[in-house]
Amino acid sequence: MLGHGTRDARRTERYLDGLMAADDRRAHEVPVDADLDPAIRLAARELRSGLIRVHPSFRFEDALATRLAAGALRLRAGLPLDDANAGPVPGTLAQFRRSESGTDMAAAPDPEASATPVARGHALSPAAWRRLPDMSNRPSRPLIVGGVGVASAAISIGAVYVAWRHSHTASGRMGRAARAAHGRSTHPSHSRRAGVINGILGVVS
Amino acid sequence: MSRSVLGRAEEGARPARLDRDRGLVEAARRDPSRFDALYRKYLAQVYSYAFYELRDHHAAEDATERVFMQALAGLPRFEERVDAFIASRAPANPAEAADISTFRVWLFRIARNVVANERRRDRRRPVSSLEAAAELSAPDDVVDTATTREAVSEAWQAVARLPEDRRRAVILRFVDEMSTSEIAAVLDRSEGAVRVLLHRALRSVADDLASGERSGRRGRLS
Repeated sequence: MLGHGTRDARRTERYLDGLMAADDRRAHEVPVDADLDPAIRLAARELRSGLIRVHPSFRFEDALATRLAAGALRLRAGLPLDDANAGPVPGTLAQFRRSESGTDMAAAPDPEASATPVARGHALSPAAWRRLPDMSNRPSRPLIVGGVGVASAAISIGAVYVAWRHSHTASGRMGRAARAAHGRSTHPSHSRRAGVINGILGVVS
Repeated sequence: MSRSVLGRAEEGARPARLDRDRGLVEAARRDPSRFDALYRKYLAQVYSYAFYELRDHHAAEDATERVFMQALAGLPRFEERVDAFIASRAPANPAEAADISTFRVWLFRIARNVVANERRRDRRRPVSSLEAAAELSAPDDVVDTATTREAVSEAWQAVARLPEDRRRAVILRFVDEMSTSEIAAVLDRSEGAVRVLLHRALRSVADDLASGERSGRRGRLS
């Protein structure tokens, strides 16, 4: 027979499952066990809205991707990964991510691409646009961007841009580029949290 | 150890459940450069976990790098064990069973070890507060921003005050959206223990919120 504490813990777990599932389908109603302490419910909601996922800076993401690609080449060549920081295997190119069509997105470093897209104005160069990470597989949770840049104005705008992209899930890259270029958004906010993030994004949209 | 899922599927004894990352893992095994897809998929989750644990962006980046480097190097040794995982953990609902990634569990077990090592190494170094690390940019809408900042700040403060094991469970549950069974596998605890950890953590946060409200009321009245 279950003890009192175990029963409460199971109730809490069911509520958390419901809370996450409701968020996934953008529903406001969460099934609630009448015996669940309202204070626990409130705490769960606070944590759900307050504990946001943090994304590293794009610069870090791409730098690590490059190191991993170099490491992968070493592994493929039968060399130990430990020396991957020494650079790619001579005579080979570090492989960057590929587009859906399979073509290399960036074979050579693009000095422009290291700048935050929004910081360079709303008109993105095609090269910089291609360097933007594909966010389509990422969850629709609000994000903030970390790294050195959080303290700087430029990357702060980058953080805003990431959050904006996450709160505007539909459309392709061209649509997003057009909206960025014209400085407006046609998408309504999808949830309360998205609305709050959109509020922060007044500087972009 | 044998790769249980493949083995059972070949025997035809019963249909094997597939790890949701199986395709990506198999591709990365065949060609390590395909590891990029797994890296992109889990970067934010691993980084978030490291950031909430270490409370410093630089330390989180270092830890994240180590995690993915170790994962890339260790991928040939990774064993997909969905059936074993399900049998031992008995997930509460079918949706959870269909959505299991033993790769994610494996990755987070690496992350847990890397972060623990990082914490041991940097124990003497003072850590910044989570709120300071999560400073948001200045927005146009003052009211919305104040609301967001307040919500984030309160939640982060409450989590920072939790004991280590409860905080870890809360981060995996709320930030990385793991199920109880996944958290149990990452933390090497039973599911019952994880349930109790989460329940107690929420109880502590609820008490914190209540005392915060009381002190707020006292502040407003004085």
